[in-house]
Amino acid sequence: MYKKRLIPVLFLKDGWMVRSEGFVFHQFIGDPISHVRRMVDWDVDELILLDIGEKEFSFQHQRIDYKYKPVSSLLEFINMIASECRIPLTFGGKINSIDDIKIRIQNGADKISINTLFYKNPNVIEEAAKIFGKQAIVASIDYKIIDSSPIVFCDRGRLNTKKSVEEWAIFVENCGAGEILLNSIDRDGNAMGYDLETINVISNKVKIPVIACGGAGRKEHFLSCYSNTSVSALAAGNIFHFKENEYPNSKKYLHSKMKNIRFRGEYE
Amino acid sequence: MNSINLPKVNWCKNCVYPSSSAVTLTFNNDGVCSGCIVNAQKKNVNWEDRLKLLLQDVEKYRKPSGYECIIPVSGGKDSYYQVHFVKEKLNLNPLLVTYNGNNYLDTGWTNLMNMKKVFKCDHIILSPNEDMLIRLNRLGFTKTGDMNWQNHCGIMTSPIQAAVKYEIPLMFWGEHGWTELGGMHSINDFPEFTYRYRVDQQLRGYDWWDFIKDKEEKIHENEMELFKYPSDEKIQKVGVRGIHLGFFDPWDANVHTKLVMDKYNWKPSPVAFERTYRRMSNLDDKYENGVHDYMKWIKFGYGRATDHASKDIRNGAMTRDEGVAMVKKYDHVYPSDTDFWLNYVDRDKEWFWQVANKFRSPFVWSLENNNWNKRNIWDKNESK
Repeated sequence: MYKKRLIPVLFLKDGWMVRSEGFVFHQFIGDPISHVRRMVDWDVDELILLDIGEKEFSFQHQRIDYKYKPVSSLLEFINMIASECRIPLTFGGKINSIDDIKIRIQNGADKISINTLFYKNPNVIEEAAKIFGKQAIVASIDYKIIDSSPIVFCDRGRLNTKKSVEEWAIFVENCGAGEILLNSIDRDGNAMGYDLETINVISNKVKIPVIACGGAGRKEHFLSCYSNTSVSALAAGNIFHFKENEYPNSKKYLHSKMKNIRFRGEYE
Repeated sequence: MNSINLPKVNWCKNCVYPSSSAVTLTFNNDGVCSGCIVNAQKKNVNWEDRLKLLLQDVEKYRKPSGYECIIPVSGGKDSYYQVHFVKEKLNLNPLLVTYNGNNYLDTGWTNLMNMKKVFKCDHIILSPNEDMLIRLNRLGFTKTGDMNWQNHCGIMTSPIQAAVKYEIPLMFWGEHGWTELGGMHSINDFPEFTYRYRVDQQLRGYDWWDFIKDKEEKIHENEMELFKYPSDEKIQKVGVRGIHLGFFDPWDANVHTKLVMDKYNWKPSPVAFERTYRRMSNLDDKYENGVHDYMKWIKFGYGRATDHASKDIRNGAMTRDEGVAMVKKYDHVYPSDTDFWLNYVDRDKEWFWQVANKFRSPFVWSLENNNWNKRNIWDKNESK
């Protein structure tokens, strides 16, 4: 049996890491490098970086008195992150072509998270899965509950595709996705817990692993989702910024409650 | 000068913060900054419920004897309020811990010394070796454009060192500065003290080890003991947590000042500062409202008056127009304590300007005919 994973997500906007709420309210919470360094200390299972900025390739944080100087290109940025860690790295945001995928992989990303392109041009993804392998393609699915059913949104949560999440999950699996990153827009930043129902339905619907995101506010939320769904991994953004050593503490807590969590015992 | 050629900066429509703020801001579609948005969240908070929540949380830290928590104090109005809150509302026995950066104003020092009397608390003051501190002032300035890097690092390190050393797991900080000013977190996040907040927000990515390998300014590792953050293992073993009281109390500086003056005889500055209208802030460091703050103007194009006016606009003590007037009056003022500091670190003005100008943000300033220019909040078409 595969061990369950716990994956921090960093949302990036204009060179900074942001806290996200409802996909619309973003607060700057610091320089991504300082956070990545903590991830290395904590030996996190994986790391997902999602560029959610409006501007094309804006990685200028504009602080010239910072240790980490502003970088001007996406390449420099991924390089900088990848050089800080050997943690498996998923990079997402603004992917429109095979070249976009290639350039990110060549510069240190292990997997690419793709969202809107599945809607706009799924042929590109089928081709990408052949070139880079399925394991490199993560299908990111953002959804809102509308009239009690989960509906897929793309383009940073702004475009209603009117497609059901179940239907869409099967579609992305058939396109060649190796994993699904399932993110609840309603729960983004609300710290009220995961959407267990949708997560369970989707995890059982597809053969590929599902990583669920959105709503983690306490470590008990992780346990509740692992216990009540067959999800493969849980991802979270904000929570790892609230308390010191929240990641290792969550891992330790989960390890004491369940066997199949990836845990090396360093935090004992 | 035609402002079209100047770097683009915008200002919050509610307070007076610029988009170039050192405390990073985001703006909503109406042009209101994240600091104002988060401060507005406070209006919906039931503070009595929060106090109950905190009382439940601290219950497990109560002891039959000995210190139950650490309060990092500078001797300022907020320090007094923190101790007042912890003793009167939480009924805990604190140990006070102070990092002394060697820059106290006389009034600030008197206030600090009085804490052990008025609160009947034990108080540890950690004062680094002065010769090293002077070198660290210079290196902080040349490396980060901030002579007070030592102060930020000492303040953010010595309390947790004491927590680990004396095995006191609970620390009470005051407001969460970056949330209070810039809206870094939401009011329901209850962020606690973290290593990342210390190194990234307070210390700009630098830690003590970045200061020991400089070719010109020799500082040895064994001089840096007060700046070394304890290991994760040690922190985990004691179970140290740093709670920010700003999430459990409305935290209004003007209210605190009145309370601590009336109840504990706390004194504001007897003389006005050159760069801000408030007399009750930053008495623990003579440069904090002076040359240190002037570097904020050099770097980001604003100063302490912007900080203070923004806070006062948010808490209803000032209108935005009054705030803009304060910004116009104070932000650009060159402070006379620059000479005092240069004398302290044995350097001249030429050196100062050579270093200072390296930190002019190209996203704020533009050099033309030997003059540095920038956009201002009171310029036509800028403010509203």
